[in-house]
Amino acid sequence: MNAIAFTEVTKRYGDVVAVDGIDLEVPAGATVALLGPNGAGKSTSITMLLGLLRPTSGEIRVFGEPPRTAVANGEIGAMLQEGALIPELSVAETVDFVRRLHPRPLPLEEILRLADLTEIARRRAYRLSGGQTQRVRFALAIAGGPKLLLLDEPTAAMDVESRRRFWDNMRAYAAKGRTILFATHYLEEADENADRVVVIARGRIVADGSAAGIKAGVAGQAVSFLLGEQPVTGLDALPGATGVELQGARVTLRTTDLDATVAALYRKTTLDIRDLQVHGADLEDAFLALTKEA
Amino acid sequence: MRHYIKVELLRMLRNKRYVVFVVAFPVGFYLLYANLWGTESDQATGLRGSVMLMVSMAAYGALAAAMMSTAVPWSQERHSGWLRQLQITPLPGRAIILTKLVSSLLLVLPSLVLVGLAAVLTQHVSLPPARWAALILAMWAGTIPFAALGLVIGSLLPPDTAQPVAMVGMFGLAMLGGLWLPESIMPAAMKSVAHVTPSYDYASIGWRIAGGDAPHPAHAAGILAWGVVLVALALVAYRRATTRA
Repeated sequence: MNAIAFTEVTKRYGDVVAVDGIDLEVPAGATVALLGPNGAGKSTSITMLLGLLRPTSGEIRVFGEPPRTAVANGEIGAMLQEGALIPELSVAETVDFVRRLHPRPLPLEEILRLADLTEIARRRAYRLSGGQTQRVRFALAIAGGPKLLLLDEPTAAMDVESRRRFWDNMRAYAAKGRTILFATHYLEEADENADRVVVIARGRIVADGSAAGIKAGVAGQAVSFLLGEQPVTGLDALPGATGVELQGARVTLRTTDLDATVAALYRKTTLDIRDLQVHGADLEDAFLALTKEA
Repeated sequence: MRHYIKVELLRMLRNKRYVVFVVAFPVGFYLLYANLWGTESDQATGLRGSVMLMVSMAAYGALAAAMMSTAVPWSQERHSGWLRQLQITPLPGRAIILTKLVSSLLLVLPSLVLVGLAAVLTQHVSLPPARWAALILAMWAGTIPFAALGLVIGSLLPPDTAQPVAMVGMFGLAMLGGLWLPESIMPAAMKSVAHVTPSYDYASIGWRIAGGDAPHPAHAAGILAWGVVLVALALVAYRRATTRA
């Protein structure tokens, strides 16, 4: 069954279209990154998934149910961008309070361990650092043992070491067949932690696939040369080639495997290749290009 | 929900502002005033000063507790994202406001009991048991409009304005209700304002019961009307504050 299903979902605020006709299916058990620049519609999508916002049109299902039903059944846990804690309560009190609101919560000790909080369990919330607060918020998100975990830019306030530990914790949680959807604007995070990346820009999905596939298709390297009057047919069948673009006399071949593509170009075709150029795209640049195209 | 109430109580008891305004203030002022005027008798109510002041200070403490435990915490929770945190758990929305109201009512009890205790221990105030019971019950139930008012403020205003508005509201109501200075010495204009405040109705019921009389129907009707209006407003404001497009 699909953990998440968006069917032609659109959300408008007056004249502003935040989410523009998104179709998306996420099978149970997947870890998916929602990758996009600020304002792309990531948070709006997550907020709608929780039933806190209603789509202007279209339909969202979580495990086949409307979002509010899934929330009421304790099937979704989420870490939203903003979310202060109650200053007077300790870490353990806060986590225990939220876990008791759920029908099938994880044991308190397990939650604290999964979120690296065991050592600061007795500390009151007003004495926590930014990174510690984030960890508590992660603990609150997993407290109910949700089948679907949503994380909206979870590492925004963290330093490098906290980030690494956070993703380790997330993977430990995901390992038990749970579904994770996380929003990020860091390509690297999406690449390292998701088995599928959905790139979203201006409210639309502009790419969807494995991190490697997206990198290859968009950010991957390319080789171009002057083709002149020679036929373009067959170039897209070369090893590693993922796309062919013709601009005037110059053809550009996108590739996931530069060496193989170039070797095949010389050995397996009879083309007269002139002015060969290799373009290696920086990942961030390619991502920007991709999100601008929309 | 029982655990939620427990958590709400725990956090307010750890809140210094609550403890100072709600527990220390009324008890402290009772001790001070009762020492000054405890033996005199109040002309309007005919009560001994120590009894009349007990009702006044308990009323102030209860009013303050009801508003302090609702307005600012609730406003902060809405703005800080804590409310959202609750909204994405299975806790139903109505349980949130119900818990706020119930915890607020429970948080009223310490000031009622402590001021009463101070009166008994230091001024040797003694009332028949039935009168004690009626007094505490009436003064307890009578805080519902103030808790509702606090929720209205917390639902409509952001924390930085909810704070002063709640403070002004709390002291204003205490002042006009005759909790700090007797209504009998107020200038005429102030008196007419005082008579329409829920705090005056509230304290008057307390004074009457403490004196062994049944509450005046006008006061009972007054507080009931305020209660209905403010609870309705609180529900509307709560809904407006929590539902989104």
